[in-house]
Amino acid sequence: MSKQINVALIGNPNTGKTSVFNALTGLNQKVGNYPGITVEKKEGICKLSRGVKAHIIDLPGTYSLNASSLDENVVIELLLNKNDKDFPDVAVVVSDVENLKRNLLLFTQIKDLEIPAILVINMADRMRYKGISLDIPHLEEQLNTKIALVSTRKNYGIAELKELISNYRELSTAPCMHASEIDKDYFDSLRKAFPDQLLYKLWLVITQDVNFGKTDRNEIEPVADFKTKSKSDLKRLQQKETIKRYQFINETLKKGQIIDLSTAKDLRIKLDRILTHKVWGYVIFFLILLTIFQAIYDWSSVPMDFIDSTFASLSEWTKNVLPAGTFTNLLSEGIIPGLGGIVIFIPQIAFLFLFISVLEETGYMSRVVFLMDRGMRRFGLSGKSVVPLISGTACAIPAIMATRNIESWKERLITILVTPFTTCSARLPVYLIIISLVIPDKRFFGLGYQAMTLMLLYLIGFGAALGSAMILNKILKIKSKTFFVVEMPNYKLPLPKNVALTVIEKTKAFVFGAGKIILAISIILWFLASYGPGDDFNKAEEIITAEYANQNLTDDELQQHVASQKLEHSFLGITGHAIEPAIRPLGYDWKIGIALVSSFAAREVFVGTLATIYSVGSDDEETIKNRMAGEVNPILGGPLFNFASGISLLLFYAFAMQCMSTLAIVQRETNSWKWPILQLVIMSTFAYIIALIAFQVLK
Amino acid sequence: MNDTIQTILAFGALALALLFLIRKFFWKKSKKKRAFGDAHDCDNCH
Repeated sequence: MSKQINVALIGNPNTGKTSVFNALTGLNQKVGNYPGITVEKKEGICKLSRGVKAHIIDLPGTYSLNASSLDENVVIELLLNKNDKDFPDVAVVVSDVENLKRNLLLFTQIKDLEIPAILVINMADRMRYKGISLDIPHLEEQLNTKIALVSTRKNYGIAELKELISNYRELSTAPCMHASEIDKDYFDSLRKAFPDQLLYKLWLVITQDVNFGKTDRNEIEPVADFKTKSKSDLKRLQQKETIKRYQFINETLKKGQIIDLSTAKDLRIKLDRILTHKVWGYVIFFLILLTIFQAIYDWSSVPMDFIDSTFASLSEWTKNVLPAGTFTNLLSEGIIPGLGGIVIFIPQIAFLFLFISVLEETGYMSRVVFLMDRGMRRFGLSGKSVVPLISGTACAIPAIMATRNIESWKERLITILVTPFTTCSARLPVYLIIISLVIPDKRFFGLGYQAMTLMLLYLIGFGAALGSAMILNKILKIKSKTFFVVEMPNYKLPLPKNVALTVIEKTKAFVFGAGKIILAISIILWFLASYGPGDDFNKAEEIITAEYANQNLTDDELQQHVASQKLEHSFLGITGHAIEPAIRPLGYDWKIGIALVSSFAAREVFVGTLATIYSVGSDDEETIKNRMAGEVNPILGGPLFNFASGISLLLFYAFAMQCMSTLAIVQRETNSWKWPILQLVIMSTFAYIIALIAFQVLK
Repeated sequence: MNDTIQTILAFGALALALLFLIRKFFWKKSKKKRAFGDAHDCDNCH
């Protein structure tokens, strides 16, 4: 009877593992399921030299031995269970020459299980195109293994692989690194408690929450009760383990793998060479941003004007058609203008997300992350901070939650604290309306001043985030290490369906998320603006009639003065006047003051608030923009929204922490009130000072 | 629609608005403790 050995094919998804399996087994293969689950089990027979047969199992693709899916559980269960009939005599770990760094994480874990392992570097035919060269002897020495360079596409390396499998007894079973160094004391005590068990196997059983039913769990069951570490400490240790492994891999590849982009012939590499170039990369990114902001303005002006006038007409129509009364006034002066203040921004927000989604779909965004990583380190941030900072352009809340994959606590904390500086979509309505009021609609070499101002505000936000990160990096005395791994996807044409879904989902989230808050605040503001204490409010008509008795005012003019008197002495007016002394040096009046206070809940409420305030008592069918443009500064005369006050407002909103939800999420993520309170005080003070300087200099 | 109905509707809207904002910003929702071993945000990164 000929001898048969078990061979497990293991590897990350998309490494060509199944192609290696097919090349080894040919037609001698069968497909079934693992018992009790729907995970596919592929096995086959490969004839080796000296009459030896290899029973080859193509295990499901997994990124690591930290299982997060049923497929990955199958891999771990087999590798931990020596009693399984399929337990491998040798593990063949398939990697892809282009993603060696990521693929080696799994390899180092398998080596720790002391199973004889061969490393297959697949897709070797791509090396020439990618400008990759490998020092195989060095890699074999460092990784304590034998390596087979294989190309299933060009059909080479398979014979060598078969030879290595035949000679598997010559392979070293010693680990290539010492993961136990992440916590020597803990692992020493574990070793002492269970001297007969494999250390890394114990570690996997302790940390993995998978079904080990098929393993010799009974023997190591008591280990699960090993109470020396809390679950969160174990999770932290797991993260440390991953960092340690990547440090080892990086060190190994530093000499073992050379990527010379100048010799690369691949189109993707050529594009990458330009798009991630240390000068051209930034220039191209800057030009793309400029194009996006210009397009946002050019394409959305028509639908925006249409929405604005539609809401103005709707408001007027409601007032004329419904019976006169409190609720009709609330609808026409509070709810409809308030809602108009959010719906008007749908076109611009949809266009912004359209562009962001296209950039993501094409694979360009990953290049931006890579490009920025170089610069980020100087500011105490990691490459992983780029993702939160870029997604912060949509909303700071998911962006702050996205910091969870930054291993270093210091870098994570800094990213959480600076992300609210990036221009979120809630700032967009404020920016758009103020820019349209105070920046001339003129062009310079085809580029509009308004679009350039908007882009400048985005850059200011990003700059403020980086600047504050640098300061925090110097102030915060927290020691930590981190690692940055990013996968560059291939360039591809964006799928229209994916882009459309992203745009719809993001716009819907903005409109419904913000819309509900704006609607609620508009209702409250209308009440506060329509009711007031004392005679100044209740006898407004008598006071105004007496005051203007000698002037021949028309009924309309008189009503305008009455409405103005009522608004000024309403609850809202009194509040606004109370805070006016603090904001007057910034060029704002009490009405803007109210909008500042109400938009503390959420920035986008600013425009809705002003739309409600300016609508109260107004009979004209006016658009929000026209109403704001018509406001007069009560002290200085002239338009209230002029260049100086406009820039001051823009800068205030660029820096101020005007978002209660963000503060709540920062509290949750840092598990402390200290950080959100500090964030609120520092950002608001800074915003006030900058807005004050801007107005005083420009007025 | 007479004045009384208009007033009731308007103040009803105010009450709803206040309730919504209180729920949104001041209501502390009870959160389900995440069990160890639940899908972790980092798990798919490695």
